[in-house]
Parts: sequence; C-alpha cells; structure tokens
Amino acid sequence: MATKRTETAVAAACLLLGALYAWGAIAISGEAGYGGIGPNFLPWLIAAGLLVCGALLLRQARCGGFRGRETPAGARSGHWLPFVWVSAALLINALLITRIGFIGSCTLAFVLAVRGFHIAQGRARPGLRLWIGTAAIGAAISAPVFWLFTKVLGVSLPGLTASGWL
Amino acid sequence: MDILNALMGGFATAITPVNLMWAFFGCVIGTAVGVLPGLGPAVVVAMLLPITAKVEVTASMIFFAGIYYGAMYGGSTTSILMNTPGEAGSLITAMEGNKMAKNGRAGAALASAAIGSFVAGTIATIVVTLASPLIAEHAVKLGPPEYFLLMVLAFCAVSAVLGGSVLRGVVALLLGLAMGLVGLDQISGQARYTAGMPELLDGVEIVLVAVGLFAIGEALYLALYQGSEAQTRSPLGRVHMTRQDWKRSWPAWLRGTAIGIPFGTIPAGGSEIPTFLSYAAERRLSRTPEEFGNGAIEGVAGPEAANNAAITATLIPLLTLGIPTSNTTAVLMGAFQNYGIQPGPQLFATSSTLVWALIASLYIGNVMLLILNLPLVGLWVKLLRIPKAHLYAGILIFATVGVYGMRQSSFDLVLLWGIGLLGLLMRRFDFPTAPVVIGLILGPLAETQLRNALSIGEGRWSVFIERPGTLFLLCVIALVLLLPRLLRRRIA
Repeated sequence: MATKRTETAVAAACLLLGALYAWGAIAISGEAGYGGIGPNFLPWLIAAGLLVCGALLLRQARCGGFRGRETPAGARSGHWLPFVWVSAALLINALLITRIGFIGSCTLAFVLAVRGFHIAQGRARPGLRLWIGTAAIGAAISAPVFWLFTKVLGVSLPGLTASGWL
Repeated sequence: MDILNALMGGFATAITPVNLMWAFFGCVIGTAVGVLPGLGPAVVVAMLLPITAKVEVTASMIFFAGIYYGAMYGGSTTSILMNTPGEAGSLITAMEGNKMAKNGRAGAALASAAIGSFVAGTIATIVVTLASPLIAEHAVKLGPPEYFLLMVLAFCAVSAVLGGSVLRGVVALLLGLAMGLVGLDQISGQARYTAGMPELLDGVEIVLVAVGLFAIGEALYLALYQGSEAQTRSPLGRVHMTRQDWKRSWPAWLRGTAIGIPFGTIPAGGSEIPTFLSYAAERRLSRTPEEFGNGAIEGVAGPEAANNAAITATLIPLLTLGIPTSNTTAVLMGAFQNYGIQPGPQLFATSSTLVWALIASLYIGNVMLLILNLPLVGLWVKLLRIPKAHLYAGILIFATVGVYGMRQSSFDLVLLWGIGLLGLLMRRFDFPTAPVVIGLILGPLAETQLRNALSIGEGRWSVFIERPGTLFLLCVIALVLLLPRLLRRRIA
C-alpha cells in the first residue's frame, strides 16, 4: 500500500530530525545563570517533542494511516519530469545569478519552469519560435523587475555589467 | 479625546501624497494577489521585505497593510467565480458564492462580498482604533511570565485548534521552533545549529521560509501533481444588488462582523472558525434555510464579513502585544523587526506616529479597495486569463527577488528550493503551514521570555502559577484547547 509506505517515510523523517536535533543539543552548553535553564533547554525540548511526535506519526502510519488527513488534491501519483524541470529552474538560477546577472538568470529560469509546467499539462515539444517567445516574456518580466527593485527601491541584485541596466 | 487627536495626527501623516501613493499601490497589488491563484498576502509581503532596506518605515508599513487588506477583497472574487478558495477563511465564500455564480448571480455575490468586506473592515478598524491604546496601556504592566504564556497561547491556538489533526499541527509548530533555534542564542550569544556555516549565524530569514513554503511549495506541487487540471470560470454578469439583496445582506454583514472581531483579537488565530460560525448562524436565523447550499446571499455576506473582521482584528494582538496570530501578521512582524522595531505595548509610546498613520491608512485603504473592487471588478477578472504556466514561472522570478535581495546570497536560493520541498510534502500530507511561520518568528522571543521569567522566579517554575495574570492565562489556554472541540461537535 503506497500511502502506508509514504506516511511511514514522513514519520521516519520526523524521527530523524528529532535525533539530529538531540545530537546537536549535546554540543550546546547548559550554562544557566540565574534562570535555571540554559541555551540548551529549548533544543532538548524540541528534540524530545520531535521524537515523541515522530513515534506517534509512525504508529498512525502503521495502523490506519494519518488521522483526519484530507485526500490530497491532484493526481494520485506524481509526474516527475515537470518536477525536475521546475527544480532545475530554481537550482540553475541559484548557480548562475551572480555569474550572468539577475535578468539573464531569471529569464532562463522562467523558460525552464514554463516548459516544466507545459510538460505537466501534456503539451507537445515546442518549436524554436515558442522557446524564443517564452524567453521574451521572461525577459519582459525580469528586466523591469530588476530596474524597479535596484533603481527605485534600493534592493541590490546582481547585474552582468556594472552599468546597472543589465 | 486623546485617541481622536492621535488618529487625526495619523490621518495627517497618511494623506501626504507619498503615503497615499504607497497605500494605493498596496491596495492594487493586494487585490491582484488576492485574485491570482497561488499567491497569498503573506508570501507577497515576504517577497517585498527587502524594500525595508531603503523605503521609510511608515511608507512601507502602509504599503504592506494595503496588500494585506487588498488580498482579502480580491480573494473573494476568485472564490466566487472559480470556486478556488485561496485560504481557509474563504472556504465558505467559495462554496456558497460559487453556487450563486452558477445560478447567474455572480454579480450580486461579488457586490455583497465587497460591500460586506468594507463594512466589516471599517467597523473592525474602529475597534482596533479604540481598543489598541487601552490594551497597550495595560499590557505595559505584563512581565516575562505573562508574555511567555501569551506566546504559548498563540502556539496552542495555531497548532492545536486549526487543521485536521493536533499531532500534525504540533509537528509543524516544532519545525518552526526548530528553524528558529538556528543562529545565535539571544541571551548567551552562543551559536546553535549552524553546522559551522557562517551563512546560518544570522538565523533563517522569515522571507525564505514564507516564500519557500507557500510560493515554491505551491509551484512544485502544481508541477508534480496538478498539471493537467483545468478550471471552469463562471461568467461575471452585472455587479448589482437588488433591494431584496440589500435587505438580506446587511444584517448578515453586521452579525458576521460581530462574530469575526473577537476571534481575530484573542490570539486564537485563523479566520476559519468565525466564517463557519457565521454561516451556521445565518442558516439558523434564515426564514428560508433550504436556500443555503444552493446559493443564499446571506451565506456569502456573513462569512465574508466575519473573515474580514477577523483579519483586521489580528492587528490588535500584533500591535499591542507583539504577537502575530496569522501568517501575514507574522511576516509583518518580520518587517517591523527589519527596522529594529519590536511590536508590543511600547509601540504606542515610542512609535506613535507610525502606529497611528498605519491605523489611519486602514480607513483610507478600505475606501480605496471598495472603489477598486466594485466598479473595476471586470478588470481584475481579466487577470485570471494569464496562463498558469506563465503565472507560476513568473512567481519564481519574484521569489528570487525577495530571497536574494534580502541577503545577497545564492546559498539562500538553494535553501529556498529545500524549503519548497518541505512545503510540497506538508501540502501532500496535510500538515498546516501557519504554525511553521509563527513558530519561527515567535520561538526565539518566547525562549527569551521563558528564561527571563524563570530568572524572576529564581529558577522556580511555580512563577507561572503564583501570579494572578499567569493563572488567568493558563485558564484561557485550557479554554482555547477545549472550546473549539466542543463547538465543532455541536456544529457537526
């Protein structure tokens, strides 16, 4: 049963996080001063909370599933290809933003993400004209956004050149 | 009289052309955000947080408040025409309003929702104006033990009261608190959970978490699960209410407002419960209860007013106690913190110009929004024609601005993707997300208050039951945990 497996994995992740936080809490000193509790009190509390909740989630996952869980919207199993495209858009953006500047990097991310969503909608492979059209829309969004935020609102975003326009 | 003078002073600040312009842009962006699916006010305010570096504090708070308000107005449009509630508070509007739209009465539903929002928003703003200074005056006397329990109350309310499961709510809260631990401890200055990375010494930015959970999580969810879904939109028709509609709407507006305000005020967040209560009350009082579920105008008017009243009233705990009870107020609190201002009872004394200008701008914003939303609703509906792929890809660009603009770090953009994955999982497995954001922003403050409280009590935990204020708060916490369960049983 797929639900049981995935819910068990979620519970396990919660347990793992609790264990990680407990492991991290060991390194924090318990110097308490006047208060009676030190900087390590809340870390231990949260680690314990995560472990207890993880165990409870695990029990629910094994017997009868998460209580009161609403049937998730959308398809029953995921389409991984569009997910990869959209993730690639985000990660390539992180990689390139300081190298090719905000406008170029965001335009590329836009094109990748649009392609991802189109694959999810079952659209056919686009021709060159559609690629260029999408890139033009992406640039038409990111360029004014770049100018608005850097020139008017004083937010610093990386450019390709020092001119401040590209 | 003092209040009136202060409010007049606030209006004087708020109607300067520059501030009016910010209020207007806030309302326009807010309405657009409300109309567009996939974006909420919390995430948009979060994306725009980097502007706090340059824009003056009063202007930006007026701007953010406009977005917060505008999104409520815009949200009902989409709920009614497309039956896609943007948040829990508009579930009922979507249900009943969409039925009206299917019967060709979309115009009446939209008008009743917008005017109801205006009535409720204005009355609730009057309550904010009158109650906030009084509450602040008393709140100054509260010590760390009381503050800590108020925060615990907020935690209980957001995690245990809302949502389908207490356990999943608590897990979400713990996640938020865990993220809040990352960085320097506020009292001892010790680094915690930074894994030796200097990027993490400053802690996890609220922008990152709000944008990651809501915007990126939503985009990834769409790509993974909802790509092929098509939505139907009901035709708009003429925005007009008949005399009969007016007669049926206005008592519902007033009752909805009366139900909504208390729920927003006490830190028992969420506008879901008051909208359900308002709907139940309208159905019980109606002479034609059989119309409910098939498009009764009271079923739109009441809950929509309750929603707006509750949303407005959440400003009371934020401004007077420094306690956010919703996603958006949590992000607004982040905005205050960016300016080095800690919302709380001292706010009315130390930043009175700012607070009163903000309150005055709420009155102005409500009027602007009524004008923007009634005659111009056709214009907003055009936004729904933007293809989904372009809309969500565009959101990614804005997410980049918000997250990168905050700290100029590409490391944050990778983290953004990671938090987006978390948002995706939370959505899929029905974990509530509000507790994460509130735990993140309130956790470090609650920890400081707890440690100060125990210092006052010389290390004894009994400090929490020895003071009358704390004892009272402990009772309220018990009540908040028990009452909704009893109410829900009665409604069901």
